[in-house]
Amino acid sequence: MRIPLGTLRILVLLAVFAATVLFFASQIDGYLNARLFNRISGSVAVIALIAVGQAFVVLTRNIDLSIGSVVGCSAYFTGGILIAYPDLPPLLVPLLAMAIGALFGALNGFLVARFHLPSIIVTLATLALFRSILVQSSDGSSITTDRLPTWLTEFATQNAFTLGELQIRWIVVISILVVLAAHIFLTRFRAGRTFFAIGSNPDAAAFAGINAGRTIFLAFVLSGALAGLAGFMFLSRFGNITVVAGLGLELKSVGAVVVGGVNIFGGSGNLLGVLIGAALIDVIDTSLVRWELVSEFWREAVLGLLILLAVAADTLLMRRLLHRKGGSA
Amino acid sequence: MPPVLEMRNISKSFGGTAALSGFSLTLKPGSIHALVGENGAGKSTLIKTMTGIHQPDTGEILVDGQPVTFRGTADAQRAGIAAIYQEPMVFPDLSVAENIFISHQNRPTLINWTTLNAEAATMIARLGVTLDPRRAAAELTLAEQQTVEIARAISLNVRVLIMDEPSASLSDHEVKRLFGIARSLRDQGVAVLYISHRLEEIFALADTVTVMRDGKHISTRPVSEVTQASMIAEMVGRDMAGRFAREPSKDTGETLLSVSNLAKTGAFCDVSFTVNRGEILCFSGLVGARRTDVGLALFGVAPADAGTVEIAGQPVTITNPNQAQSLGIAYVSEDRRKLGLALTEGITANITLPMLSKYTGAFGWLNRMRELTDAQAFRKQLNIKAANLTVPVGTLSGGNQQKVMLAKWLNTRPRLLIVDEPTRGIDVGAKAEVHQILRSLAAEGVAIIIISSDLPEVLSLADRILVMREGRIVGEFTGDAATDESVMRLAVAAEVA
Repeated sequence: MRIPLGTLRILVLLAVFAATVLFFASQIDGYLNARLFNRISGSVAVIALIAVGQAFVVLTRNIDLSIGSVVGCSAYFTGGILIAYPDLPPLLVPLLAMAIGALFGALNGFLVARFHLPSIIVTLATLALFRSILVQSSDGSSITTDRLPTWLTEFATQNAFTLGELQIRWIVVISILVVLAAHIFLTRFRAGRTFFAIGSNPDAAAFAGINAGRTIFLAFVLSGALAGLAGFMFLSRFGNITVVAGLGLELKSVGAVVVGGVNIFGGSGNLLGVLIGAALIDVIDTSLVRWELVSEFWREAVLGLLILLAVAADTLLMRRLLHRKGGSA
Repeated sequence: MPPVLEMRNISKSFGGTAALSGFSLTLKPGSIHALVGENGAGKSTLIKTMTGIHQPDTGEILVDGQPVTFRGTADAQRAGIAAIYQEPMVFPDLSVAENIFISHQNRPTLINWTTLNAEAATMIARLGVTLDPRRAAAELTLAEQQTVEIARAISLNVRVLIMDEPSASLSDHEVKRLFGIARSLRDQGVAVLYISHRLEEIFALADTVTVMRDGKHISTRPVSEVTQASMIAEMVGRDMAGRFAREPSKDTGETLLSVSNLAKTGAFCDVSFTVNRGEILCFSGLVGARRTDVGLALFGVAPADAGTVEIAGQPVTITNPNQAQSLGIAYVSEDRRKLGLALTEGITANITLPMLSKYTGAFGWLNRMRELTDAQAFRKQLNIKAANLTVPVGTLSGGNQQKVMLAKWLNTRPRLLIVDEPTRGIDVGAKAEVHQILRSLAAEGVAIIIISSDLPEVLSLADRILVMREGRIVGEFTGDAATDESVMRLAVAAEVA
């Protein structure tokens, strides 16, 4: 009995993740403690959300580089609205953040799907554009913790439940639920199947009567909405929103997606892999700060190297797979 | 005069299929040597072997009597061998002069544009053509791009120029100019190998003609000693044992599709025909006869400009694949990898893709059990060999990929099935299975249109054969009455009785 490729990939990722944690445990004193888990899990929750959005886009053979600016903008505008209307029902606030993010995503999606512009260029442009909007808007007023309602700033540290010393935060629960819902959507729903079809073979998808433009638009809207939700969590975790909020998240999201086994050329991937990829990238990123042997300035380099390795491994694997012939494969 | 290039007993196989077996060819300087053969006779492989793209499994290549080994096109180029193709390979964004000198390694690092353009103009003038060397290649006509390619070859001191169906996309006037170029190259001592399906061109141009079939050398004669009829007979003359048996027709006589005067600018015109339920109608002709364009028009991928289409008596205008599907039309593309399958996806996902609505429940929920059941049924019915239904279809053999394609479109329960090159590149066993599948579909009352360049296949499957040439239907046969030679004669436009 052969293990299906997808399952194998998840198992390898889990093994790499476990090895990484063990490695840092051997290098850093008191690494394996509950406090660290609590901190890292909150950060992973944010990365996982934007990675899922990015995964939708990458599956369709596109990329969303604007995601960091969308997170920053959503956090800023949501905070601004909350300061103006502090009595908004709490449940409405994350939805508001998602709507703001979705609006930015819709602009990306419209430009890419309607005019067939290359997404790498469109989102590179909007990465800068959205960031400037943030810079311009935050010129007069800034978002600070003391001006936000207390329920919001406390939300990030509120626990859904605890396991011994491990505190499972609400944001972690929400993030995992989103990943699971998105996973079920992609694997069990008709609309989900079209994302794979378009990325796998756009011409064949057209022959099968699938509207590629609509799906690509939807992917960008989803990416934006999830970045908006991430922005809400960001706001809740940090309280203070400056012009650099969310800076560099595009690299982390793309990293999590490819490390998680989504083919950068579209058409294949698994969101559970993306979740592990996000966790892996964030654990490395956070742990390197505490590893004395390596300067923290190497964090970016390690992240870059990891992406390179993942893409190389995946490309080689797919190439071998597709070139292997024979009916009983 | 001693030969410039000799191919001796060249054999080349791809995955067990022999493309060339013991093929020999001798080219002399200052001659135009024609090469003819059916689709799949091995001409392309031969050219690729001569130009260093493929290396022969066995056999020798000699240049000026010396054995040589071409490890790549650069080696062949150094030996003075170059090829031009039906579709010119130019760099569209570069100028004519840049295109001509692109492969020159020995030019100075700093470009002197005045010299470069002047030299390019000289090259072009040698061909008896005027063309501004500064124009971008993208602006040129196909014929002019071809001229640029030939000029590039000459600039590299070409001694053997292979022209692979250079006239296929040219107008009469442009063909005449091409002939002029070929003759002037011959007079300058170049050996020209001219490949064409238009037999009349061979009489107008060549002095020697070689016929090849199934990768083997059949004959080499002076053109004065051959006739179109003798060439055709040699091109198709295969042993009868290789033919598949015919089966009685399942034609119901009830018209399903009726097409009249269908036309698309630049592709085909005046295409009129009908297909009955249970009938197998084959479109025969040479590659490039625009048969696929007719199929794509009927499926709405590249809709026709003019003409009428009726399905079961109802006039319809087909504008997109979705609509074609809902009218009960299915189209199995000739290009499995590019247009047909999602290679990284499993068998099930591929089969159900055009029919996802059939498996969709409330809120768009996919019923994966039903998908699996159907895929399982097709796997059994079509005998698809795979470890399981989730392996990426890219890892299956060609024959099994083709069956997945068929399953995918059969799952839409079509009334009309259009199959383009149903058995290209698959082995004999799978081929027979695919033929059997198509026959049993006809028996169920499906109207079937097969576009095939494989004559034995057409002759064994077809109830009726339409021959297309250059975008027009030029003849019709009933399946029983057709022979290799009669179909081929129409396809290549030989006027000989």
